Amino acid sequence: MITGKGITKTFKQRGSVLAGREVQALRGVDFEIPKGGAVSFIGESGCGKTTLGRIIAGLETYDGGEIGINGTLMSSLKQKQRQPYFRRIQMIHQDPYSALNPTRTIHQTLYAPLKLRAKQTGRDEKWIDERAAEVLSLVGLDPGSVLSRYPHQLSGGMRQRVVIARALTVDPEVLVADEAVSMIDVSLRLGILALLKDLRERLGVSVLFITHDVATSRYIGDDGEMYVIYRGQVVERGPVDTVIADPVHPYTQSLLSAIPVLHGLEEPGAQPVVPVEAMDGSQEAQGCLFASRCPFRQDRCETERPVLQVTEGAPQEHACFYPERRDVIARPMSGV
Amino acid sequence: MSVILESTSTSATMRRNFWQGVWRVMKRKPSRMVGVVIILGFAFMGIFGPMFYPDILPDNANAITQPPSWEHWFGTDPQGRDVVALVVKGSRYVLLSAAVTAVITVVVGTGLGLFSGFKRGRWDTVLMRVTDMKLTIPGLPLLLVLATVWKFGNPFQMGLVLGLLGWGGVARAVRAQTLSLRERGFIEAARGLGLSTTHIVGKELLPSMAPYIAMNMLIAVTGAVYAQVGLFFLGVLPYESDNWGVMLNLAVFQAGAMIQPYALGYLLAPLLAILLLTLGIVLVVDAMDEIFNPRLREE
Amino acid sequence: MAKQAPGVRIDGLTVVYKTPAGELPAVRDVSLELKPGTITGIVGESGSGKSTMALSLLNAVQPPGRIQHGSVEIDGLGDVAKFRGEELRKARGRHIGYVFQAAQNSLNPLKTVGKQLLDLGRSHGVEDLRALVREAKDLLGRMGLDGARVLDSHQHELSGGMRQRVGIMLALVLNAHLVVLDEPTTALDMITQSNILKIVREVHAERGLTTLVITHDIGVVAEVADRLAVMYGGRLVEQGPTREVLADPQHPYTRGLIRAIPRLVGDINEAQALPGRPPTLATVPKEGCVFRERCPLRMDVCDTVDPAAQAYGERIVACHAVDSAVKVPSREGEHA
Repeated sequence: MITGKGITKTFKQRGSVLAGREVQALRGVDFEIPKGGAVSFIGESGCGKTTLGRIIAGLETYDGGEIGINGTLMSSLKQKQRQPYFRRIQMIHQDPYSALNPTRTIHQTLYAPLKLRAKQTGRDEKWIDERAAEVLSLVGLDPGSVLSRYPHQLSGGMRQRVVIARALTVDPEVLVADEAVSMIDVSLRLGILALLKDLRERLGVSVLFITHDVATSRYIGDDGEMYVIYRGQVVERGPVDTVIADPVHPYTQSLLSAIPVLHGLEEPGAQPVVPVEAMDGSQEAQGCLFASRCPFRQDRCETERPVLQVTEGAPQEHACFYPERRDVIARPMSGV
Repeated sequence: MSVILESTSTSATMRRNFWQGVWRVMKRKPSRMVGVVIILGFAFMGIFGPMFYPDILPDNANAITQPPSWEHWFGTDPQGRDVVALVVKGSRYVLLSAAVTAVITVVVGTGLGLFSGFKRGRWDTVLMRVTDMKLTIPGLPLLLVLATVWKFGNPFQMGLVLGLLGWGGVARAVRAQTLSLRERGFIEAARGLGLSTTHIVGKELLPSMAPYIAMNMLIAVTGAVYAQVGLFFLGVLPYESDNWGVMLNLAVFQAGAMIQPYALGYLLAPLLAILLLTLGIVLVVDAMDEIFNPRLREE
Repeated sequence: MAKQAPGVRIDGLTVVYKTPAGELPAVRDVSLELKPGTITGIVGESGSGKSTMALSLLNAVQPPGRIQHGSVEIDGLGDVAKFRGEELRKARGRHIGYVFQAAQNSLNPLKTVGKQLLDLGRSHGVEDLRALVREAKDLLGRMGLDGARVLDSHQHELSGGMRQRVGIMLALVLNAHLVVLDEPTTALDMITQSNILKIVREVHAERGLTTLVITHDIGVVAEVADRLAVMYGGRLVEQGPTREVLADPQHPYTRGLIRAIPRLVGDINEAQALPGRPPTLATVPKEGCVFRERCPLRMDVCDTVDPAAQAYGERIVACHAVDSAVKVPSREGEHA
């Protein structure tokens, strides 16, 4: 289980115009990825979801807060000692084209981490070859035809499967999928999503899904937890289907309202929420971070910042003074 | 499954595939084959050429500064020695020092560039300041000054000096490449998998930069040939060594190739050798991208 | 010349690319009509030929590609496929506006937007540059941006959504009435995407345009387009009014594509991936139906005969199975 408490991260802008200006990417985020569980982070680009994912995968440092991996607090360890812990958390990058070294065959790509693993556990070359074939079969690829190939000889979907296979070579506990299907052909996306779901069920790997496409995050399983992140703060959190079907935070509602409606198949929700302006991360607010864009803001929202709290009579938490259920998502037309 | 049997011999197969790919790339354009033939020819000439001639070429007082003939294709020099023989004998010094220069340029430049770009931070700043300072040193004047104290009788000395003067550009270029590559997903993934820095630098970064490095190496060879031939031509180095530059110098200042046509062959022969070598290198450089990029190699 | 929304008739268009394996068609025998004043959406995966198709509209297919057959008749212009040189350059911009992908930075990073606007004006011989700037500001204002500020900005000072709006402005500012948008919302997040689509719809109606939207995302087309055309392997497999096609897709590929979209409500497992993968230029079958490898309705005839596009009322479908279903009504049930 991976836990996070009050994670903060501030980026300093570089360059001449914005030099020295600070951007708060994360403002004290708590999270919990249960063993074998599924969690998704959703939000607009620049909301901090990717930064958080990278922090969890150990690819980025954080300024404040505490991360615990299976009960071990990372702050109690030196930088070098953390590495084996973070190795159990593997990142699946968005772009399968840059995630594989174009000069190395799939065999070489899988061999290097397996060799390391074999050395740690005292296994031989034969095990490496068997395991390479095994992880490829796990992700639905035929080892015989894939091993000797170079990445450019594979389609986007196959590359992403190889990337997942490579992550599996270290027996990870968590897979962090950062927009893992957004660069893959539409007809193949579902295959990758199904694979992640399947790995969860078969291997008990937890999946952290980072996406701006809300509907795909449903695919990780209905026991999944969804975190809606806005400007570095979790504004709503709860079971995936609850947050999608019964959102109470206006930001979640505007995200859901923006999803294209398949006219002819679906009817738009009755109460769509449209933000009154575009996101402007440069303006610091004293009160609610979403207040300037919120169509329902009250005076209190300008001066006081709401914290994540439990919704009465609902399973999710939210950070809004005036939570209200609104009917925002498209639903299938009757008779279709 | 046949997979397991296959993969035990994978590395041998891979190597064979690589050379097959190189062969395919070379065959793609006739100009590349010409380049390869030229370079191989020069290498042969540098290694075995001098063996066909006596250590000291015989003088011939009766055939001083002859124009080209069937017997002497490019004529003879003011001591009556065959010009072709001089070119062949001179090639060893030129090519050997050029090779040493290329190796030093590439090893030092790539090493520093990789280290600097991969480590970043303080090391990077210091190393790049050093590189910049090195780049500001004017090469030729420095060589001239060095030549007054050091006689460069040995091609290794020459190569060493030229190499130590020449790595700056490569270091900068390799560093820039490293900086952009280290942001790529596959490098980050390798770090996330806990692979060693040696692996990341040697197996992931270096091969991606191979075409770059190979090109720089070949270009360094041309640069080194020009630089040393120039030095000898200017006459700041002793005449005792066999060298194309010495030939050029003697052709102009002793045989008077500029005024009298009989010595033209003496002047043209080393010039043609240099031009031909440069041409060969330019023709081969064109193939580097395709050789090291598996996609371009196979298409 | 008073301009109005032009009609476009693409007839028998074949675009080939020169490869080591000979000239291969990226677009093969495609006929499509854009009625004046409508928005048409072309949907396809990578390698479907949709971008090549869009470029043909400007006769801007770059070597090694070339238009081999067919015509692109634009009202008031003639057959663009036969245009050359200066004539072609004038038509682009003046008559046909092209909005490039948001993700690809189609703006010059070294010049302000205003400078690029003036360059555009000068290269098209606009005499009254002041009026051009005024028009640009109006357009940007119309799209919810501060025109003066945007014209003074460099590309890096604009967000993805703002750049995309600048792209639309540049395509429209010379008063073009035929507009092609290539992946207008790729790499934008949901809320920005929804804003851009709204702007596309509104500007389309206000200025009286004929619009072509190229995308891989059915949702985008569903939101904006009146007509939907589906491309696969260089062929146009189905076209018709958007709602009709979505509600009752005929071609098995269209069906599969729609079924592969994860929805917000209902059983997530109803979403099914298409088996196989989309063909590339080199793997498109030379004869027979391009989709047969992935088709659940494959018949013997599909291997040898390329199905012709057949009109069924407003709908045009190229499929043997649909053809036989219509001819033999009793088999309808099998395919529904």
